[in-house]
Amino acid sequence: MSPTPAPIAVPVPPPTAAEALLRHFPAEVRAAYGRLRDTGDPAAADTLVLAIVADHLPQKGRALADGQELIADLGFDSVAISEVVFFLEDLLQVRVTNAEILRVRTIGDLRAFVRTKLAAQAAAPASALRA
Amino acid sequence: MNRSAVVTGLGFITSIGNDRAAVTASLRALRGGIERVEFVGNPALSVKVAGTVKEFAVDSPSWRDWRVPERYVIPRETLRGLAPHGVYALCATDQAIADAGLTGDALTDGATGLYCASAGSAFLLHHHLTQMHAARFERGNPLGVVMSIAGTLNFNLAAHYGIRGAVGGFAAACASSSHALGCALDDIRLGRQTRMLIVGAEEMNAETILPFAAMRALSTHPDPATASRPFDQARDGFVGAGGAVCLVLEEAETARRRGAPIYAELAGWGQAADGHNVAVSHPEGAGLAAAMRRTLADAGVAPSDIDYVNAHATSTPTGDRSEALALRSVFTAAGARPRISSTKGLTGHPLSMAGVMEAAFCALALRDGFIPGNANLVQPDEACAGLELPRATIDEAPDLVLNNSSGFGGSNVCHVLRRWAG
Repeated sequence: MSPTPAPIAVPVPPPTAAEALLRHFPAEVRAAYGRLRDTGDPAAADTLVLAIVADHLPQKGRALADGQELIADLGFDSVAISEVVFFLEDLLQVRVTNAEILRVRTIGDLRAFVRTKLAAQAAAPASALRA
Repeated sequence: MNRSAVVTGLGFITSIGNDRAAVTASLRALRGGIERVEFVGNPALSVKVAGTVKEFAVDSPSWRDWRVPERYVIPRETLRGLAPHGVYALCATDQAIADAGLTGDALTDGATGLYCASAGSAFLLHHHLTQMHAARFERGNPLGVVMSIAGTLNFNLAAHYGIRGAVGGFAAACASSSHALGCALDDIRLGRQTRMLIVGAEEMNAETILPFAAMRALSTHPDPATASRPFDQARDGFVGAGGAVCLVLEEAETARRRGAPIYAELAGWGQAADGHNVAVSHPEGAGLAAAMRRTLADAGVAPSDIDYVNAHATSTPTGDRSEALALRSVFTAAGARPRISSTKGLTGHPLSMAGVMEAAFCALALRDGFIPGNANLVQPDEACAGLELPRATIDEAPDLVLNNSSGFGGSNVCHVLRRWAG
């Protein structure tokens, strides 16, 4: 049994910005964002990532699994991947480099990357966090 | 030169109708598409009217909020890179392709090209750059460039339809789509392409329209029924409009062989610039007169052969006067008296889209046998002396028509269209 993941601290953008970004998502996804923001629940980050990937899917309605490659299996192009990254950057107030994007191939990679990114953000001194 | 080109498909998203039948009915009945508008919710603005686009809701910077009539299916992959006027353009192009009966690989075999014209989306460019400024340019929408800059139409439509022939965009303000149509004709005449899609589109929002108020070019008349009154003594500026028009131009023999519906022949085109002023037309319309003469020569016709002129006249005091004088120098001086009207009294002025829209109107007039009248014309400007400006639509079939366009920098572009005898 894996150890319970440590809570993640998410920098809080103005509520209206996050609400605006998520306004087209189902209620459970917006609730997951609220949990992530309020409790740092890493499972909530996973829910968000999956919902954002699903929202950017070139072909709607496909079931998602960790091992699927965004480009080879799900039909993403590099622009759609950039869209996902931009969405995550805006929502979670993180900064993602080109080199980091290139290392993400699967949905599992993306979930792990977001968890790691948020954990690193949480560990950084408050002054390093961008509003 | 023995290759000629014919119009085989039309698509319309305009203030006077969102399909060919509605547009034709509006042109015949002189039913206008101008409405009261309160831009940005500001009642203090002096501009009160615009040529609006009905059925669409694309006033959000996010495509996720847009509403498009259900008869159009736009995949996410395409929608994400479109500007609001790109949505209009895609819908008009879908119509034109269906109208022309193009199926299978007709669009993707390399023999079909695409020329577009718009000013880009000032609205989305502003939004995109505002986002980037807020993030100190550390991040931005990856589609921000292709959805907003001039060229957004050709980027998106070429990808969406899989066009593999000539693709490009034209930026000459209000003459842009006329350039696009003329250059498309050249490509067909020269044997470079068999078929061309020509698309003009503009947005109807504050960002596209109101900068012209800063130039004092827009009408401040509050009544939608009379604000746009080309050639009238009481005109006080143009009425901005949005929408999209697509025209399919096709090598005549190819079109005939496949049994395409043929509206008219595009018999010639020409252009000439004023060499005068960045934003004001030549006082005697010298460049426009030269463009008309070149166009008539290209089509091999005389002024007296022209039955109808669809004028550029936008309802500005200076521009309409210049065009009237240019028309007199080309036609009246040659003893010719074609019917002349500006359909912008109905539509308002949709900027880059105007040229192809009015060429499409000419094609309808030639095929369906009518000459649109001058809506809202009560007392013609004295500069129009000797010009034939019918008030009402005439139920009469023209054989040859001339379409005029003028844009900033003194660009003037004209086309001659000829009735297709089969």
